[in-house]
Amino acid sequence: MIREIITDVLLTLAVLTVAAAALGVAVMPGAAARLHYVTPAAVVAPVLVLLAVFVTEGLDENTGETLLAVLVMIAAAPFLSHATIRAIRASEDAQNDTRDNARDKERA
Amino acid sequence: MTSFVVAAIAMLVALVPAGVVIVRGALADAVVGFEFLTTVAVLVFALLAEGFKRPSLFEFPVLLAVLLLGSGLVFVRALERWL
Repeated sequence: MIREIITDVLLTLAVLTVAAAALGVAVMPGAAARLHYVTPAAVVAPVLVLLAVFVTEGLDENTGETLLAVLVMIAAAPFLSHATIRAIRASEDAQNDTRDNARDKERA
Repeated sequence: MTSFVVAAIAMLVALVPAGVVIVRGALADAVVGFEFLTTVAVLVFALLAEGFKRPSLFEFPVLLAVLLLGSGLVFVRALERWL
């Protein structure tokens, strides 16, 4: 009984985390701002799901495989965010350079 | 229906805003929406595997988590010139 309550609480927290992150991804202006809201879904929610599986199953194969998936996700999230923001910044810089060059040509 | 299945369905509903961003947003926004969507998909697979008590289905979240990094990096790299 107590295990079910703890599992439900952990799963509720995970769902609320993902829902809040989804709202942030939908509402925030610009890709860089939206990217901040991917992190809670990639780091916090998986840990809560892992804990829920652990509370339900104990130490067994299912918990181990969930742990593996969560570890990979937590390790991958910063690299993916960094690569994405780098690409977005590079694109913004290129657009600014193009705009500056066009302005310089107009002045000349 | 266990609480794991209910949580999986709730997370699938939470994917709708990201889907809207992918369909209607700029390309950079769509890439961020795609990353969010794949991240939550890993969780949904894990929740469904536990909810239906199918240990063999736990392979999917592990594989998808590994592919998430590779596909995301390749995707961002390939789209970099158009972002």
